[in-house]
Amino acid sequence: VSRLGSILSNEPHARPFTILFGCVVLLAIADWGRGEVFTLATAVTTLETFGTIGLVALGLGLTMMLREFDISVVGMFSMAGCIAVLTGHNPWIGLAYATGIGLAAGLVQGLIIVRLRLGSIGVTLGGLLVFAGVAYVVSENRTIAYDNIQVALAMGNRIAGIFSIRSLTAIVIFLAAALVIGMTRIGRDVIATGNDRHAAMTAGVNVDTLIVGIFGFSGMMAALSGALLSFSLASASPSGLSDVIVPAAAAAILGGVSLAGGTGRPLGIAAGVLTLGVIHAGLNAIGVPPYVDEVTMGAILLLVAIADGTYLLRRLRQTVRALKQPT
Amino acid sequence: MSIGSTGSVLVPSMPRAAAAAPAAWRRPVGLVRLAVLAALAVLALTTPGFLSEPSMLALMTTVSFIGCVAVGMTLITVSGNIMSFSLGALVGATAMIFIVAVNFGGVVFGFVAALAFGALVNAAQGLVIGLVRANPIIVSIAATALITGVAEAFAEHGTIYVAAGTSYGIFRGKVAGVPIEFLVLLAAAAVGQFILVCTNFGRNIYMLGASFAAAEIVGIRTWRTVTGVYLWAGLFAAFAGVLLAMRYDAASMTYGVGYEYDAVAAVLVGGTAIKGGEGSVTRTLIGAIVIAMVQVVLLLQGFRPEWQYLIAGLIVLAMVMLQSPGVRE
Repeated sequence: VSRLGSILSNEPHARPFTILFGCVVLLAIADWGRGEVFTLATAVTTLETFGTIGLVALGLGLTMMLREFDISVVGMFSMAGCIAVLTGHNPWIGLAYATGIGLAAGLVQGLIIVRLRLGSIGVTLGGLLVFAGVAYVVSENRTIAYDNIQVALAMGNRIAGIFSIRSLTAIVIFLAAALVIGMTRIGRDVIATGNDRHAAMTAGVNVDTLIVGIFGFSGMMAALSGALLSFSLASASPSGLSDVIVPAAAAAILGGVSLAGGTGRPLGIAAGVLTLGVIHAGLNAIGVPPYVDEVTMGAILLLVAIADGTYLLRRLRQTVRALKQPT
Repeated sequence: MSIGSTGSVLVPSMPRAAAAAPAAWRRPVGLVRLAVLAALAVLALTTPGFLSEPSMLALMTTVSFIGCVAVGMTLITVSGNIMSFSLGALVGATAMIFIVAVNFGGVVFGFVAALAFGALVNAAQGLVIGLVRANPIIVSIAATALITGVAEAFAEHGTIYVAAGTSYGIFRGKVAGVPIEFLVLLAAAAVGQFILVCTNFGRNIYMLGASFAAAEIVGIRTWRTVTGVYLWAGLFAAFAGVLLAMRYDAASMTYGVGYEYDAVAAVLVGGTAIKGGEGSVTRTLIGAIVIAMVQVVLLLQGFRPEWQYLIAGLIVLAMVMLQSPGVRE
C-alpha cells in the first residue's frame, strides 16, 4: 500500500486522472442506472468542450508551469475569432492570420516580461486590454457573421461518430505537447525552470528564451481556439470576456498544474479539461439548470485553490493544537 | 519576494542581477507622467465641447461607478494581491441585492443589506486568501463563477426592477451642479486614502505588499490584514452597485461586466505598482479621471467608441512597462 501511495504521489498524472475518474463515478451514482448520463451525446458534448477550452488551458497551464500566468488568453481568444472571421473567406488564410498574430503578440509579451523584468500578470493584463480593444475596433463593436457557411458546416461534421475537426485538432496538439514535454530537452527545461529558476539557469537552461517561447505558444493556442470556435459558430463578437478564463484556469489547476510551478503535464491538463467537460455534459444530461454547472466549477476551483494554499498545513496543525489544549 | 499568496507566479520574471539603474531615472519617469498629463489637459481644453455641461456630467458619472470599484481594487493591489476578478460580478450582485432589499424593507434596509452583502462576500474571499494563502487570482476567478452562478439561479439572467412608488430621488440629484454619484466617489476615495495613510491597518497593508515575509516577522497578523483589505474593497464595490441600481431603478448581472478590468486599468494608469507595496487611492482617482478624459476627448474628436477600449488598453500596457525595475530604480 505504501508503495502504491508513493507511486501515486510521485506520478504527475495520478491526481488529475483520479479526479476525472472520481467525477465519472459520481455522475454514475447521480445517474443511478437510468442511462441518461453515459450516452453518445455526452461523449460528443465533452469532446466539444475539450475542443473549445482545451488548447487555451494547455497554453495557460504551460505558462503556469513556469510560474508565470498568461491572463491575456481571454482577449486573444476573442481578437483571434474576429480576425479569423474577417479574413477567413478562405479558412486557411483566416487561420494563418489569427494564429500568426496570436504567436507574434504572445512573443512580444514574453519579450516585454523578460527584457523589462516585469511580472507576467501586469504585462498580460495590459495585453488583454489591448487585444480586447483590437477586437472591438476590427469588429466595430458588433457581432460579425462568417461568410463561408461551408466551413461552418464542415466544423460541425462528426468524424468517427464523436469527434469533430476542433476536438481532433486539440487532441493532436495535446499529444504533440505531451511528447515534447515528456521526451525532449525542452520539456526537461520547462519542468526544471518551474521548479527552481536559479538552479535551472545555473545548469545552463536558457530561461529567457524558454519564457518567450512559452508565451508565444500560449498566444498561438488561444488564437487557434478562438478562430476555430468562431468558424464553427459562423460568427464572432468582441465581447464575452472572462467566459474562457474561468474554465481554462480551472482545467489547468484540476490537471495538476500548481501555481508554485514545476508540476503539471500536458496529459494531466487534458484530464483536467475532460473533467470539466464530463461534469458539464453529465449535469446537462441529468437535466439540471445551467447555473449548477457554473456553481460547481466555481466550487471545485475554490476547493483546489484552498488545497494548494501554502499555509493550509500550518493552519490545520494550529487548529489541531488548539483543539488538543482546551484552555 | 512574497507577493500574493503562493508568491512565485506573481513575482517579476527574474531577480536577475539588478541592473544598477541610476537613481536619476526615477525623475524622468515622473516628468514623463507630468508631461503626458499636461498634454492631455491641453488636448481636452482645446477640444470643442469638452467643458460643456453634458460632457462634464457624463465624465463625472462614468468615473463615479468605475472609480468606486477602483478605490477598492487599489487596496487589493497595494496589499500585494494583484487584482480581484470578482469585483465586476460583485457590483452586479450588490445592485440586485439592493433592489430586492429595497422592495422588501425600504431604502435604508436596501443600503444596509447591499453594503453588508458586498463587504461580507468579498471578506470571505480575503479570509480564504489570508488564512491558507490560497492564490488570490484563482480565488477571485472561482468567486466570479460562484457569484454569477448563484445570481443566475435567483434571477435567471433577467433584470429586476424597483417597485413602483419607491422614492430615493434625493440621491439622484446634484449638489452645486455636481452629481451625487461623484460626491460618493470622492467620499469613498477620501476614506480609502485615510485608511492607507493614517491608520495602522493601512501601514500594515503597505508592508504586506512590500514583503509578506517581513510583515510576518514583525508580527503582523497577515490574515487579518488581508481579510480587512477585501472587506473594504467589497464595501467600495458595493457603493458602485448601489449607485448603478439607483440610477437605473433596476439591476442585473450585466451592470458590472468588465468593471474589474476598468478598475485595475485605473489603478495602473495612476501609477500604483502591480507588484504591491506602493501606490495610493489619490493616484487611482487621477488614473480613473485620465481614462475617462481620454474617452470623452476621443468621442468629441469623432472617433468611434470602440477606439476607447484600444487606447485605454495601450495606456495601461505603457504604464505597466514604465514600472520596469530598469526604468524605475
